[in-house]
Amino acid sequence: MKESLLEILRCPLDKHELELEDAEYADDGEEVVSGVLVCSECGERYPIEDGIPNLLPPDMREETPA
Amino acid sequence: MTDLATRRGLETDVYQPAEDSELLADAACSRLPSGGDGGDEDRPLVLEVGTGSGYVAARVAEETEARVIASDLNPHAVGQAADAGLEAVRADLVSPFADGAFDAVLFNPPYLPTDPDNEWDDWMERALSGGEDGRAVVDPFLERVGRVLAPEGVVYLLVSSLAGVEEIVDRAGEEGFSAAAVADESFPFETLTVLELFR
Repeated sequence: MKESLLEILRCPLDKHELELEDAEYADDGEEVVSGVLVCSECGERYPIEDGIPNLLPPDMREETPA
Repeated sequence: MTDLATRRGLETDVYQPAEDSELLADAACSRLPSGGDGGDEDRPLVLEVGTGSGYVAARVAEETEARVIASDLNPHAVGQAADAGLEAVRADLVSPFADGAFDAVLFNPPYLPTDPDNEWDDWMERALSGGEDGRAVVDPFLERVGRVLAPEGVVYLLVSSLAGVEEIVDRAGEEGFSAAAVADESFPFETLTVLELFR
């Protein structure tokens, strides 16, 4: 994900802003390929996997049909 | 009878572009600003919910000046959308997006009415099934989408006669939206319509 996406993303639970932690960047320095998005209010953590932020609320994260 | 079995085909992970995708992409591209050399700040910001393969989002990104965000519940779908060069986010409808962020939100929802005893419980079923009345996903979307729209923002929603266009227009009205049909196409078993919802 582009770091500028942070301006648009919010915690799905309480709509507060997210902070990027443990970020690893692609070689061009533009794309965040892994890291964690942390809610500045409730502290819930959302992973960035293969460059794609997973902003599902925690109770939906494990829901994986066959 | 159009049912899940015939629409599923062999693909079981990600819904692939079909007539409904093309109708929504055509309508959105023709109504969103195109070309122009405005800076990044001036570009309209567009969200496609339930992007699937990313076909509609990619068309809008290519044919208009909008910055397009593509979201889906399905990890396989966001993977395909990212591979197509889109900014992808795994999300439940509009829940992780900022208030008032988007100039337009596009959605081709799951809408096929489905017998609860006859569901597959895989990603393709999630992409197609709209529950018993076809509106199990559309209704919560209509409830929540207003929060993320900019004051002049609009929604482009693909609806099928199978899910009841009038019922969806009425429901949108309850959520404060006016609706205009901006495109439609008839098939033997359903008519597809793109609704523009605005406040």
